[in-house]
Amino acid sequence: MSVQEIVSFIIMGIGIAFMLVGIIGMFQPKKDFYYRLLVACKIDTIGLLTIGIGLAIRHGFSFFTGKIILIIIIIMVLNPLVAHIIAQAAYRSGYVSICKDGDSFDH
Amino acid sequence: MYIVLAIMLGLLVPYGIRVAIGPSVWDRLLGMNLIACKIIIIIIIFASVSEMTFLMDFAILYAVSGFIGTIFIALFLSERDRRKGQEDKE
Amino acid sequence: MAIALTTEILLVFWVVNAIWIVFAKKTYRVMIFFGVFSLITSVIYLFLGAPDVAMAEAGISAFATIFFIVCIEKYYSRGSGLKAEMASAAKPRNYFKLVAAFAFVAMLCGLFIFFVPTTTEYAYTELRDLYLFQFMRDVGGRNAVTAIYLGYRVYDTLFEALLLVTAVVAVIHLSWFDRTIVADGRHSEVERSRMTKFAMRIVCPIILLFGMYLVMNGHISAGGGFLGGLAFALFLVCRFMVLGVYDLPIEKAMKLEELVFINIIILPIFAIFTGFIYFYGYATEMFQNIYLIAMNFLVGLKVAFGFFVLFYRYIAIERLPDKEEVVEAFDDGED
Repeated sequence: MSVQEIVSFIIMGIGIAFMLVGIIGMFQPKKDFYYRLLVACKIDTIGLLTIGIGLAIRHGFSFFTGKIILIIIIIMVLNPLVAHIIAQAAYRSGYVSICKDGDSFDH
Repeated sequence: MYIVLAIMLGLLVPYGIRVAIGPSVWDRLLGMNLIACKIIIIIIIFASVSEMTFLMDFAILYAVSGFIGTIFIALFLSERDRRKGQEDKE
Repeated sequence: MAIALTTEILLVFWVVNAIWIVFAKKTYRVMIFFGVFSLITSVIYLFLGAPDVAMAEAGISAFATIFFIVCIEKYYSRGSGLKAEMASAAKPRNYFKLVAAFAFVAMLCGLFIFFVPTTTEYAYTELRDLYLFQFMRDVGGRNAVTAIYLGYRVYDTLFEALLLVTAVVAVIHLSWFDRTIVADGRHSEVERSRMTKFAMRIVCPIILLFGMYLVMNGHISAGGGFLGGLAFALFLVCRFMVLGVYDLPIEKAMKLEELVFINIIILPIFAIFTGFIYFYGYATEMFQNIYLIAMNFLVGLKVAFGFFVLFYRYIAIERLPDKEEVVEAFDDGED
């Protein structure tokens, strides 16, 4: 294995570690929806960016790398936007947190 | 590379569980968004393994169309819930 | 081998997801489960070697979700549907049926995984091999899909396009129950924050350029007209999200779509009967490339206008006035 591949695998490993940590945040007991959203979306964006950068290093200077950079830009803009819109919609609809007396807006 | 692919496939399971058991509709929507991200990574890694560059086009279009669908679901659900809340208050 | 195993694991997810959809109690759960279902479906298509179909599935599912959600939202705003759903949700859940269905489907998946790779039965592939080995010599195109535009099955393709335009026109006109709904120049009520507008402004030109790239590159790689049209339609949707005004004249867009369809019919007929794409010689490849790019561009325009007219129609339903007037408009033909 060349140095390039080893570096790319290390970077991808960091991204996968981020994503695996994100699962712990997704399944915390006694935490509400906003906590889960705060954890999951940040971790997910970082993981995708890191894996993309790792793949770009692996392929060197080529056409593939250009497309990877394009998709990284799009994900970097759109993924936090989706998290923002979900949180805003949940807040505007009146969903506050876990309702203990069974009065949640469950569909 | 196949290890990364396998881990991404394994990550589909907990987010799928979140979609299935999520106490509110917003949890389900969040899980759907995360599954879309995982699927984009799967497509990118598949393109890298099989060395078919044109698959990246599909990944890009996939990202944009999936995110726009999620955005519209969130907007219209919030509108509906606000109306339902107003009816409950009345 | 690893790719085949991946496909089989995804197929198991797919079947489990289908069971969720069947056993879901409320309509919004069905919507979200259906979104996940179509995501997984398109990846399975991709892994099975049909990227065109995969992308069509992804795009259609993204637009279909919007249409479903708007229709259901308007249906519940009438009031009757909400009560019916509340009544149906109060029943106790029968867990035995659920467990039995899961066990049955898990058994089927196990049988599928164990027996399918070991079977020795094959379909006859003579016709496929004939096409795959001879399209280069017969037609001269570099891509087997574009050989369909050029030589094989031109009349089939034309008839399929006719069916498609009939379906789109029928859906548009059936959803058109009141022509006064679309008010040009009015502002939308879909709420958009400043962050949304900013991010969409960044994404808009990237999508437009990307659609141009797909159309121009369609005669060599997979994809082509349909994907380019989808990118154009997504550009128009993003533009709607930025501006939030119903400022595009929808009647003109519909007429333009029909005009583009007439051009899609005229161009291959002209190409076939004059035969300028079949000359063997120096200029053949250049003529073919020009013809294919023109066809891809026309198909892309048609797909973009079709999707955008449907989107505009369904989003414009949010402009309906509330409650009593809505009931009058909906119940017009029933009594």
